[in-house]
This record gives sequence, C-alpha cells and structure tokens, in this order.
Amino acid sequence: MPVAYRFALLAAAVLIAALLSLTIGQRSDVGLGNVLQLLFIDDGSLARSAVVDLRLPRSLIAALVGINLGLAGLALQAVTRNPLASESVLGINQGAALGVALGLVFPGLLIGNLDTMAIVGAVVAGAVTFGIAGGLGGRLDSMRLILAGVTVGAFSFAFVRFTFTLEDNLSRLVLSWTSADISAARFDQALPLVFWAAGGLLISSFMAHSFNILALGDGASQGLGVDPRRLRFIGAMLAAVLTGASVAAAGPVMFVGLVIPHLCRLWFGSNHRLLVPAVALGGAGLVLFADVVSKLVRFPYETPLGVICALIGAPYFLFATLRARHMA
Amino acid sequence: MSAVTHTATPPRTALRGLVLLVALVVLVIVAALWSLSVGAVPIPTQTIVNTLFNLDGEQQTYIIMKSRLPRMVLALLAGGALALSGSIIQAVIRNPLASPNIIGINSGAALFALVLVLVFPEIPQVWMPLAACIGGLTAAAFVMVVAHYRNLSAIHLALIGVAVGFVFEAGVDYLLIVSNDSESSAPMIWLTGSLWGRTWAHVTISWVPLVVLSAVALLLSYRLDLIALGEATATGLGLNVPRQRLLLLLVATLLASVSVAVVGVMGFIGLMAPHIARRLVGGSHRLMLPVAALVGMLLVVLADGIGRAIAPPIEVSAGIIAALIGAPFFIYIMLTTTSEQDS
Amino acid sequence: MFNRAILAALAGAIMLAVAPLAQAVEIKHDLGTTEVPDAPKRIVVLEYSFVDSLAAVGVAPVGIADDDTRGSIVPAYTAVIGDDWKSVGTRKSPSLEVIASLQPDLIIADTSRHEAIYGALSEIAPTIVFDSLTGTYQVALEAAKTIAHAVGKDAEMAARLAEHEKKMEGFKAEIGDVSAWSAQFIVDNGEGIFLHSPVSYNGSLLAWFGFKNNMPTPDGHTYEEAIVKTSLEQLSEINPQLILRGKYADPGLTDSWVGQPLYDNVTAVKTGNVFDVNAHEWSRLRGVIASETSGANLVEIVKNLKQ
Repeated sequence: MPVAYRFALLAAAVLIAALLSLTIGQRSDVGLGNVLQLLFIDDGSLARSAVVDLRLPRSLIAALVGINLGLAGLALQAVTRNPLASESVLGINQGAALGVALGLVFPGLLIGNLDTMAIVGAVVAGAVTFGIAGGLGGRLDSMRLILAGVTVGAFSFAFVRFTFTLEDNLSRLVLSWTSADISAARFDQALPLVFWAAGGLLISSFMAHSFNILALGDGASQGLGVDPRRLRFIGAMLAAVLTGASVAAAGPVMFVGLVIPHLCRLWFGSNHRLLVPAVALGGAGLVLFADVVSKLVRFPYETPLGVICALIGAPYFLFATLRARHMA
Repeated sequence: MSAVTHTATPPRTALRGLVLLVALVVLVIVAALWSLSVGAVPIPTQTIVNTLFNLDGEQQTYIIMKSRLPRMVLALLAGGALALSGSIIQAVIRNPLASPNIIGINSGAALFALVLVLVFPEIPQVWMPLAACIGGLTAAAFVMVVAHYRNLSAIHLALIGVAVGFVFEAGVDYLLIVSNDSESSAPMIWLTGSLWGRTWAHVTISWVPLVVLSAVALLLSYRLDLIALGEATATGLGLNVPRQRLLLLLVATLLASVSVAVVGVMGFIGLMAPHIARRLVGGSHRLMLPVAALVGMLLVVLADGIGRAIAPPIEVSAGIIAALIGAPFFIYIMLTTTSEQDS
Repeated sequence: MFNRAILAALAGAIMLAVAPLAQAVEIKHDLGTTEVPDAPKRIVVLEYSFVDSLAAVGVAPVGIADDDTRGSIVPAYTAVIGDDWKSVGTRKSPSLEVIASLQPDLIIADTSRHEAIYGALSEIAPTIVFDSLTGTYQVALEAAKTIAHAVGKDAEMAARLAEHEKKMEGFKAEIGDVSAWSAQFIVDNGEGIFLHSPVSYNGSLLAWFGFKNNMPTPDGHTYEEAIVKTSLEQLSEINPQLILRGKYADPGLTDSWVGQPLYDNVTAVKTGNVFDVNAHEWSRLRGVIASETSGANLVEIVKNLKQ
C-alpha cells in the first residue's frame, strides 16, 4: 500500500477516535448523531457545554499528550539505537510522579507549583538514568540504560507508594495524580501542551534526517558530518522536556512512547522523515482511544487514563520484547 | 567482565575477607540490638536485658518480645535472603543492575496479594503471604520458561523480566484505583516493604524456607563464579550452563518471593547489597555472597529501626528508608563504574 | 462418707468464694468473638466513631488514633473525655508500640483498616472490630450498642440511644417531608469530588431523614462502593437538588467550576441549594453524637432551602 494511503488510514483512525472521545461520556444527550452539530453550532444547550467545555479540552489534552509522548519515545529510540527505549522504561515518568508526590507531602519543598515539580522530577530522573548508564558523553550501553531506568523508576515509585500510607486525603490526592486522571481537564491546561507539541514536531522534523544517519552508527555518522554526542544530547533533552510537559498537564502516562514508534516502524519503515508525522498521528490516536476506553470500562465511572495506557502498553511491551531479534 | 581469580585466593585477600566478614557480623549484632531499643517507645538497655532474660526489674514484654524481636528476626532473615537473591540474579543475568525487581518477582507478588485482599475480601488476610509467593513464582516462571525454550542472551532475559514486571504493575495500579480501598492500609504499607504489624506468626511461616534456601544459595556460590567466566568457559569446565541458570534463578526467586510474602516489596536490598559487597571484597562469589547477606541484614535492620524512630507515632516503612539510604550510595557506585565492567 | 460429702461441699463453697469476681464478657464483632474483661479501664480506639461511642456513655479512652492531629477530636468529644488521651498515630497505620505502652485492656479497631493487624492487636489486648469506614448509619448505631456492652455501660447507652432517637425524630419532624428532594453529600479535596453513595454513612443518614438519592446503580441493583469519585459530567447527570459539600481544600474544585454551564445548571447550583458543611465532622466522625450534629445542620439547611 502506498505510503500516502497509509497516512490517510492513520489520519482517519485518529479522527474516529477523536469523535468517539467527544461522543462518549456520562451525559445521555450526546450521541454520534448530534456530536458534530453540537461541536460547531452553539445552541446554548447543556449537551453542547458538555462537548465543548468538558470533553473537548480533555480530548485535546489526550491527543497532545499522545503526540508529545510519541515524539519523545521516537527521539529516545533514535539516540539510543534501541527500539525498546521509552520514557516509561527510563524512569522519567516515575520521576515526575515523585516530584509531584514530594510537593504534596512536603509543601515546603515546592518549587513553583506542582507542574514545575513534575518537570523537575522528570529531568532529574532522566539525568540520573543517563548518568548511571554511562553518561551522555561516553558509550551509551543501552542495556544498562534500560535497567538503570527501571531502577530509577522503581526508586521513585516506592516513595510515591509510601505516601499512600499517610493521611487519607493526602493519599487520595497522590493516587489520583499519579494515575493520570484527566477527567477534570481544562483548556488552560491544554494550551501549553499545544506549544510543546508544535515545538516538538518542528524540532523532530528538523532532526529526522540526522536521526536516520545516527541509526547507521556513531562512526558512520561522524563520517557523514553528524555529531552523535550533540545529537544524543538534543534528542534526550527533547524527550525529557516533552515528557515533563505531558506529565505536568496530565500526569504520568506510560508506554505511549514505546508502543507507537514501534508500531509505526512496522507500518512505515525506519525513515524518520515519515516516522515523525506517523508517530505524531499514531500517538494522538492511541491516547484518544485510551481515553474512550477509560470512560467505558466501568461505565458510568471513570478509570484514569494512566491506568488504561499501562494496561494496554505493558502487554504490548512484553510482546515486543519477546519478538525482538537483536538487542542493540 | 570483572577480574576474578579462581585459583586459591592469595592469603592476604583471604585474610582481609575474613576480617571483613567478622566485622560485619559484629555490626549486624550491634544493629540488631540497637533496633530493639529504638522506636516510638525508647527502651533503655537494662530493660531490654531484663525482658530478654526474664530478670527482675522493669520489663517491656509486649514491645520487646512480641513486636521488636520478631521484627528483628524477620529483618535479618529477609535482608539476608533478598541480598542473596539479588547477588544470584546479578550473576546469572550478568548485569549489575539486575535485581529481584527486574525479573518481575516483586510486581507479581504484589499483584497476587492485592488480588487476594481486594477481589476476594472474604478470604482472611493471613493468606496474603502465600498469595504473594505464588505471584512471585508466576512472574519468574514466565521468564524461566521463556529461557528454557528459547536460547536467549542474558540481556534479552532481563528485558523480558522487566516487561513481565510492568504487566503485573499495570494490574496492581488498576486494582488500587478500582477497589476504592485505598483507605485500607495493609496492602499499601506492604507494597512499600514494611515490618509494621509483623509478629512471630510471620516468623514461623517463613524462617524454615528462608534459612534453608539461604544455605542452598551459599553452597551454590561456587557455580556462580563459574558462570561469571562466560558460557563457553563454564561449559568447557563441565557445567551445564542453561540448567544451572535455571536452578539458580529458581533459588533466587524463591528467596525473594518468600521474603516479599512476609515483609512486602523491598527490592532495593537485592540491588544494593551485592554492590556494596562487591566493593568491599571483590567479585569472588564464595566470599561475596555471605558478605552480601550480612550487608542485606544490616540494611534492613537499620532501616526498620530508623523508620520507627524517626517520627513517632508515624512509622516510615523500612523499604523506603532502605531505598533512601541506599539510593545515593548506589548512584555513586553506578556513576563510578564504567560499562566495561559488566558483560 | 457423710464427712466426705460435707468436705466436698465446703471445698466447693470455698472455691466459689475465692473465684475471681471479675468475669469476662463475650463480644461478637466483625472478625469473630472476643472475651473482653469486665468494665475495661484502659481503652484504645483506632477510629473516630469509636471515640463517639465512648463519649456517648461518658467513658474516656487512654489512646486514640487521631491521624497525628489532636484537633481532630472535636469539642463535642473532648468535653466528655477530656484531653488526657495519647495519640497512637494514624488511623491507617497506628503504632503498635505506643498502643502497647499504654497497657490497654481493650482495643477497638476498624474492620477494613485493621484486619491485617488484628492478630498483632489481639496480642496486646482483647480487640473488637467494627465497620466504621464503610458502614451505614444503622451499622454505626449497632456498633455503639455493642461497644457500650463491652465496656459495661449498657444502661447508659440505652438511655443515650433513647435520647438520640428522640432528638433525631425531632430533627426529622422539623425537616418535614423531603421525599421530593434528592440530596447528595460530596467531598471536595481540590483535585476531585467524591460522592457518598446510599450505602455510605452519610448516604444512609440522608435516606433516614427522608431524602432521595439520584446516584446511578451500575449493575442496576445495589451500590458496591461507599465513596465514589465523580466527574462534572456525571454530577450534571446525577443532578441533585440539594448538595451538602464538605471541602478539604479551599478553593475547592467545585469553586473552579462556577461559570461552567454544566455546573451552573445542576439543579442544586441553579437554585442556590449548595450548602457547605464541616467535612471532618460529616465525613469522618460517623457516630451517635456526630449524627446529631449533622441532624442539627440539616435542620438549619432545610430552613434555608430555596425552591
């Protein structure tokens, strides 16, 4: 199937997921029949308010988180040359959760607000992981990277879990935050994400060609005029920032950065020039789909997005590792 | 690969190792006694002695005999077991970042225990340890089955273990959210690795398996050295490597599962203790394993004591304290060893 | 032979005379049956509702799990039990050592919270366990009765409960017929709102006063959970006519929703029938005395209900 058709299919899937995400919810007066009408025509009804004031920002955040995390995963996989690298495996997500948990339990430690704590946590966790794995300078042992990431993630999450044993209200706050509950999403949370997603897309497209070259190996890259060290640094920073921004807006969402690039590679090949838009679309579609599932699984009660993504992504990760041929 | 000699260790190194071993034993005993005296109710040494030997004078029977003593014993047993488990796994997977966490044992144990408590609340919680054990074994069994049927590299095995762990973790998170029982503390506290509420009953169900398995692990330390030489060399020396790997992993899994069953998820001991031991006495497993076990005991006993003393009447889980003590140390070690030192 | 019989009788009489006067009371509770010593003096309680039960009959516990916050024991209780009790830590994970150091002769714990340490608690002192966290109003009253029996204050509790019933019936009469009103108690912690379903303490209390409840039943029959996290959309579907709001954070999440059509159009919001109540008192205390406070609150609220 020609590439253009594949993109069209993917885009269609994303649109369907978005539509479903806007249609499904607890209110009974919004259905597939009238959702588009409600979206575009202001009839002042409560149904319209449900669609535009509640579901739209939420779907928007879901889609943007998907784009950001997908691109972050793609960048990480490109610079580590390991198809199994992702923000969840490298402990970045969990580090963000730790940042927020610390901010909630010790309000004195708060730097700025909870969102900032999330980004700080993400970046610190990422830095520690990369440091343990051999540093950004020296040889990056990808095996060590993943194990380091899992360890850093486990460390972070142990403390987060500990906060569940404290006072009731505190534990509820931490729990709801760390499971990425976007049911109370607002437009002003979505706006910064638009900025990050746009920036991420731009930078990723710019670097697509370099990523292609990096895949050939460090030596070859240098021969072709691409500095692997600099590229790794930029890629890692891009991933950390995109992840941090997503975590700040929605909470830690796992495995998107792993599943989507992996799937897209199967369908679109390894040319990053194609992968970047594919991953962006695919990421949006996956998280939108997860949003739909999160509303349906225990209807009429919601299951947080983070939990659903983990339930989808973890088995896929297992499947991917079982199938993997070489471990870079 | 770490430089390891398998001919007779030079007398100096052996002496040094022995001295360290003895020093550690002394440290462990001191720490254990210290842990009897700290907590929400500080107890002076004289009272401890009175209570332990039933002498005249002030006694604190419940706290010493029924609360701190069983906790201390469990801390020693579990600390040693987890350290041994971690050492074995690191040797078999041939990567110093491996731990019982890595093969998904902790997550499997957590999931099964939580399923018991949250999905079948009619079953009394006293069965939680058994459920945890089965869960841990299931997770590890998956890895071991895959290892048996497909000849995979250690790296690949570790990754599969990581993935298995994630799957179980996802299940744990789902249960925590869905059950609404975040109010009930026991599963939560247990998930962070804690000796809160542990009694002699817990010691009774676990001391035999833990002691026996620990002994087996120590006896197998020689084979770990062989495996560390590399698959080709080990096979050349007459070792059936895949079978040995399986056996060792089984022992390590059981050690970790039984520990998790009684003290909860405390995976960092299995990660940090072997490293510290390696820094102290080098990589020869004959010496390293007992040293690691002692370090593990020390870590858990200290962590439990500190957790009790730090903010009474609130108790901070031993698992958290251990992670907090160990994390900076561990990061330092990792940052100062290069990639060349693992295979 | 005759002498032997007299000797036996004498021995028996002497034995009866010196037999310990203190007898144990058999108490049946959620986790079995426990022998509690007669008239225990040193009682440790691990939930607020048990403080309530003891305060209702004038007994002061020596230890309370107060989440490390002395202020959480409200004046209504401290007026009766004084201020001499010791904190044993959080309700979630009380310190066994502190409990033991108080040398209690009775421990009262919560079923869901403390089942896992029931064994350990029983080693310290006889322990009885009731469902405070997820129990209804009726369950709370039953527990109070059993607790009173355990501490040897049956008569006092019977009198207190009679008084309680009179008070509550009085409130009910003042409130009148509210069967047309759907009332909902919600907790707002700044990040989410939690609705108390009809199987919760507050849900059942409101039902007792005659209010109806609009919460959907997922399986069509019964509620499983006492406390349910809810979204704005869901709240707009449930659409209660009266909202009793307990805030744990100020401003709450509901405050940020003002201005949103979906929130503004919830009947309770539209008609101005959102009333703030003390979250701690309504949500956490769950007992005889506490329900009277809630009842008094409700009377005031109903007076201010706008049609």
